[in-house]
Amino acid sequence: MSSSKISTLDAIMLVLTIVVTHTILSLPRNILVSTDSASILNIIYVGIIVIFIGYFIYRLLKTFPSADIIDISEYLGGGLLKTIIGIIFIAYFIITSSILLRNFCESIKIIYYPMTNIIYIVLLFVVAICAANRLDFSASLKTNALIIPLVLGSIIFLFFSNMNQFTPQRMFPIFGKGLLDTFILGLTNLASFGGIVFLYFLPPLLNKPEDMKKITFISIGISAIYLVLCVATLLFMFSFFLDTNEITPLYNATRYIEFGNFFQRLESVFLLIWILAFACYLSIISKFSMRIFQKITNIENKKALIDIFGLLIFGISIFPKNYAVSNMFETKIYPNLVIGIVFVLSISILILANLRKKKQNNNGKENSNA
Amino acid sequence: MPKFLRNLFVFILIIIFVVAFSSSYASLNIDNLAYVLAIGIDTSDENELEVTFEFSTTTAASESGSTEKAKPVINSVKASSLTNAINLMNSYMGKEINMSHCKVIIFSEEFAYQGITDEIYTLTNDTQVRPSAKIIVSKCDAKYYIEQTQAELENSIYKYYEVLTKSSKYTGYIPNSTIGNFFNSSNCKSCQPFAILGGINQSNSQSDSSPTAEQDYSIKANESSIEGKNGTENIGVAVFKNDQLVGELNALETICFLTIENQLDRFLISVPDPVNSGKYLDIYLAPYNYSQIKVDTSTSSPYIKVKLTFSGRIASMSEDSSYLTPKVLDSISESCNHYLESALSSFLYKTSREYNSDINGFGLDALSNFFTVDDVYNYHWLDNYRNAFFDVDIDTKVRSSMLVTET
Repeated sequence: MSSSKISTLDAIMLVLTIVVTHTILSLPRNILVSTDSASILNIIYVGIIVIFIGYFIYRLLKTFPSADIIDISEYLGGGLLKTIIGIIFIAYFIITSSILLRNFCESIKIIYYPMTNIIYIVLLFVVAICAANRLDFSASLKTNALIIPLVLGSIIFLFFSNMNQFTPQRMFPIFGKGLLDTFILGLTNLASFGGIVFLYFLPPLLNKPEDMKKITFISIGISAIYLVLCVATLLFMFSFFLDTNEITPLYNATRYIEFGNFFQRLESVFLLIWILAFACYLSIISKFSMRIFQKITNIENKKALIDIFGLLIFGISIFPKNYAVSNMFETKIYPNLVIGIVFVLSISILILANLRKKKQNNNGKENSNA
Repeated sequence: MPKFLRNLFVFILIIIFVVAFSSSYASLNIDNLAYVLAIGIDTSDENELEVTFEFSTTTAASESGSTEKAKPVINSVKASSLTNAINLMNSYMGKEINMSHCKVIIFSEEFAYQGITDEIYTLTNDTQVRPSAKIIVSKCDAKYYIEQTQAELENSIYKYYEVLTKSSKYTGYIPNSTIGNFFNSSNCKSCQPFAILGGINQSNSQSDSSPTAEQDYSIKANESSIEGKNGTENIGVAVFKNDQLVGELNALETICFLTIENQLDRFLISVPDPVNSGKYLDIYLAPYNYSQIKVDTSTSSPYIKVKLTFSGRIASMSEDSSYLTPKVLDSISESCNHYLESALSSFLYKTSREYNSDINGFGLDALSNFFTVDDVYNYHWLDNYRNAFFDVDIDTKVRSSMLVTET
């Protein structure tokens, strides 16, 4: 069984996967649009709140060692709630990843494959994840643990190599659109930390369950730093992202990197790294979806599900009529889904399950005293 | 799944992908592309544009192995928009125009006065156009500018366009204006765009009288006395208000602009010699620190304080020069201070009162005075810039001359 368990490092990288992939597309611009020049302040503020939320989740999960959110749902509401929550999470994973894949493929099409139908570009990713999902669960996680640091490194490189283009004064006025928008309405940027969804599924998978607290803090901390670097790069470099929408804002920043006349056009390297990160993300998402599906249906043969989930991702990816639809989902609907499912629904289930457990323990003590 | 079926499935997938991606590969194949090095945009009749494309050609190699200069191909077309012009040219050339190696985009002065937003947005929307492509406003037709441009020292015109602004680091005569920066500034609510001022080398010899130091520094493109094979010259800044050209800056004003922008390694100026009245001293100045800018926005007339520090070395020498006396060096430093304060004040009030265009982006330095974006909008920086007052403080320390210290 140890082969199916994951290390602390793999778990941290797992949480970062979702943040990293969403940041490549429109996430940093969404943050900039919502909080303007106060984006950095807002991310630090939201990051601190998420650390507290993460600690709260850790404390709630601690009551149920070796149980994930699906098991806890079963404990709370029986098989029906388990099935409902399982379906919600599968739908959340598959729909969000499919639309994200569509948006990413739109970018690749515009940049490199202008004459190729978007269906074939999506299909290329789907074939890749179907092949990757035939491998062991830990194989995807290990690959992810290699790729994600590469992406993090690329963003640090992007930040420092573009420093000569920076205008740090753009972080002023310090409160952006105002205190209300920065600190109250800006709480919608909690959605940027959507990666913590994996925290609900980690306890039974961890090699060292005692490291859960460490995983929570480190992954949220790195996510916050990563987001600050991405947002700062765009905020300091460009004045137009508030009024002008570009398909991949960070890609635009990579085009400015030049070291003399020789080292130019490094954006291709960035895009290659991001493609690898996307493939890892899709592979992990579909593996988690299959895992939940197995739990709620008690299907033993996982291999039969691989192609079905692959086709599901493919179908949903090509479903939006055009980029406007898929972009609207990513910018308007996705943040609400994250807040609704990851922060509200899941935490509510954990709180109720903890209350039930406490009540049961009290009843048990009373019975034993009687 | 049986092995045969699996292999067949993989084979079919490979075929599908090969067919699907081959069209993109073919369209990006070097044989099917015509690489543009420069684009010129001029006005034409009936709201049409005249777009000139300069294409690269392969360098011809002689039998002895030495290379000859490849003559670029220059074609132009009239169309209602830039994209239509590109499309027409695609048809004419039989190849698809690729702008990934386009180094300069030239707008004629006449066109720039009308506004260049649409063209800048169209070019920025193109994935092939690099943000580092330079923007030039030509005092003559853009087509004529391209025709007259010749690389004297390089084999390829591409290399010339690449190094076009390099000398500005030590002359301060050309700003490094790129389409990326132009697009950024034209969308900025606290700064304004600018471009390189280009023109035709008309060899103005100033034969009536011997050129004075003031004349040397008041030149702009189209006005220099340079004679050479390259028929074009780039000196000065084209100042924009939003997307429209509103004025020009000469060589000295460009130096002033670039010193505030911290874009100069060093530059040469001619200041009145404090020892020999009526004579001028040529001095190399290098910025000692980054420019310090403070903006007071407590009233509707911004008060902008600019402090610049320089260290200098005397470049010109004559008989009876003595630059080893601290008193002489102090007086030369003082002369530099007076000269630069006057030049910078004149430049700043010109951008403010005459052009009302904050090309230095002082508005960005003012942002820290406000708490919210609404406060910034309510201040109407870009309109209020015309009311700005400037306080220029220059601290120059002339260290010595160079190799020869006394004659």
